[in-house]
Amino acid sequence: MIEVHEVRKQFGSVHALGGVSFTARDGQITALLGPNGAGKTTLLRTLVGLLKRDHGSIAIDGVDPEKDPMAVRRNIGFLTDQFGLYERLSTREYLQYFGELNGMAGPSLKQRIDEVSGLLQMDDILERRAKGFSQGQRIKVALARTLLHRPHHLLLDEPSRGLDVMSTRALRTALSSLRAEGCCVIMATHVMQEVTHLCDDVIVIAKGHTVAQGSPEELCRRTGIANLEDAFVSLVGTEEGIAA
Amino acid sequence: MKPTFLIVFLKELREALRDRRTLGLLALFTLMYPIMIGYVVNQTIKRATKPERDGVEIAVIGGAQAPTLMAQLKQRNITARELGPLDEPAITEALQARKYAVVLRLSDKFTENYAAMRPARVELWYDSADENGPRRREVESVLEAYNANVAGARLLAHGVSPATLAPVQVQRFDTATNASRSAGLIGGILGILFVPAFICGMSTAVDSTAGERERRSMEVLMAQPAKAWELVVGKWLTSGSLAIVGVTLELVLAHAILSWLPLEEIGMSWSMGWGELILICIVSVPLCLFAAGLQVALAMNAKSFKEAQSVLSFVMILPMLPAFIVPMMELKTADWMYMVPVLSNQTLLREMSKGDDIGALPVLMTFACSALAAAIAVGFASWRMKSERYVLSV
Repeated sequence: MIEVHEVRKQFGSVHALGGVSFTARDGQITALLGPNGAGKTTLLRTLVGLLKRDHGSIAIDGVDPEKDPMAVRRNIGFLTDQFGLYERLSTREYLQYFGELNGMAGPSLKQRIDEVSGLLQMDDILERRAKGFSQGQRIKVALARTLLHRPHHLLLDEPSRGLDVMSTRALRTALSSLRAEGCCVIMATHVMQEVTHLCDDVIVIAKGHTVAQGSPEELCRRTGIANLEDAFVSLVGTEEGIAA
Repeated sequence: MKPTFLIVFLKELREALRDRRTLGLLALFTLMYPIMIGYVVNQTIKRATKPERDGVEIAVIGGAQAPTLMAQLKQRNITARELGPLDEPAITEALQARKYAVVLRLSDKFTENYAAMRPARVELWYDSADENGPRRREVESVLEAYNANVAGARLLAHGVSPATLAPVQVQRFDTATNASRSAGLIGGILGILFVPAFICGMSTAVDSTAGERERRSMEVLMAQPAKAWELVVGKWLTSGSLAIVGVTLELVLAHAILSWLPLEEIGMSWSMGWGELILICIVSVPLCLFAAGLQVALAMNAKSFKEAQSVLSFVMILPMLPAFIVPMMELKTADWMYMVPVLSNQTLLREMSKGDDIGALPVLMTFACSALAAAIAVGFASWRMKSERYVLSV
C-alpha cells in the first residue's frame, strides 16, 4: 500500500509537485495519468527516495522512503523511462546483477531468472548480450529486472511502449497475476485502452497537483463524459498537448 | 551474502574485461613504458661507450697535399680515408650514408697557397642533423692545433714569439661526473613509470560513471537498494584494480630490463632486489587507488563519455608534472616530497635504486598520503552521488 499525502517538491522557482495526494491499494493496478511534464517522473523518484520532498508525507507499507530508502527499495520494482541495460552483459548476467543487488543469490536466483524469463517469453534472448536488442527486447529485459526480486510494489513508467501485440498481452497477463497475488502496482501510461482494460483505479495529475482519483467508471461519471480519454482531457483542463 | 560493493565491483570488472579498448590501453602502457625506457637507456649506453671502442672515421679529398695534417689526424686515432675528387652532391650523399663523421676537402691550390703563405683552404663538410657533434669537434681541434703549429713556426721564422698570438690562455675544467650527468635522465625515467597509474584505469572509470550516465542506466542503478558509497566504491575498486595490475606488471618489466642493461657504463645504478621491488609495488597500490578515485570523482560529473575524457586528459597532466618538472628543478631529496603522490613514489624509487637504506618513514609517508588522498576522492564522489542535484541530472 502506498499512501501519499500533500507532497510538494520545488526545484529553484519551479514547482514540480505542488500537492499530490493519493492512495494506491494492494491487489490493485493504479494508473497514473498526466500530460508530459505533469511531475510523474519526479513523483516516482520521490517514492523510491532518490529525491527528498519539501512537504507532505509518504508511506510505503508504513515506511517513509526518506527515513529508510533501502527497506523501501528492496520492496519496490522500479521501471524508469530508461531501460538501463548494459551492452556487454547478457540478459542472464544482467538479471543476476540486479538480483544480487536486491539480496538474492545462488540457485534460487537462477530459478527465479528462468521463471521471469518464461513469464515474459524472453528465453530466446536470455543468453544474448544486450547489444543490438530491439526496443521490445530491451523493455522485456527491463521488466524482468523489475519483477525479479518479487517486489510487493511496482512502479512502472510506460511499461508497454514499444511492445508488439503478443508482448503487450504477455505483460497484461503478468500484471494481472501480480494483482491477484496482492501486489500494489502503479503504472504511468498514456494508453487509455490499457487503463480501461487493466486498471482498477486512476490518479490524474496535472501541473504537479492531483486532479482526481477514482475508478475509470467513476471518472467518466464525475465528468459526465462516456469516453475516458475525453474525460481525462476535461479533468486536466487543457487541450494543449506538445505546446504546453 | 556478498557485500553490495563487491557485487558492483565484480559486475564492473566483468564488463571492463569485455571492453577491448580498456584491455588495449592496459597492454599498451604496461609494455610501452618499460620498452621505451629500455630503448632510450640502451641508446645512451651505446652512444656513451662508442668513441672509446672505435676511432673516428673521416673522408679526405686531396689529402696527399698535406701529409703533416694527415699524420696528426692519425695520431689522434682518426682514420682518414682518401676519396677521389667529389662534387657537392656526391659529398652530401657520402655524409648521408652516415659512414664518415665529416669530409675534409683540400682545395687543388692548397700546396701552391701554402707555399706562398696565403691562407690555404680546407673545407670541412658535415651533416649537423647527424649526432656526430663530439667527433666533428675532435677533427676541428686537430685542424686548430695544426693551424696554430704552422702559424707558430712561421712567426718564429720571422723572429716573433708565438706567444704574442695567445694573449689569453683558456684552460677548461669539466666537473661533471657520469652520475650527475645522468641524474636528470634517471629522474625522468623513474617518473614516467608511475604515469600508467593514471592511464590504465581511466577508461573504466569513465565508462562506469559518465558512460553509464550517458547510456541512462545510472538512474536504474541508483534506485536499487544500494547506498551511494557502495556504488562508488565498487566502481572505484574496478578502475583501481586495473591500474594496480598495469603498474605492477610494468614495474616488474622495467625492473627486469633495467637490471639487465649495463647501467654502470653511464654512471647510473639500479641496485634493487626483488624484495625492494615488491615493496615499491605495494607502495604504488594507494597511488593507483588515488588515481582511480580522482577519475571516478571527476568523470561522474560529466554528462557524456567524451566530456569525461576531455576533463580527464587535463588530470593526466598532473602526474607528468613531478615526472618532468621536478628533475628539471634539480631539487634535493626532502621529506616533503614523500607527501605528494606520484612525486613521493618517484623519489622513493630513486632513493631505493641507489641501494641506500632509507628507513621506514618515507615508505609509510608515501603509502599513507596517497591512501588519504584516495579516501578523500572517494568520499567526495560518494557525497556527490548522494546529492539531489546529481540525481536530477542522471
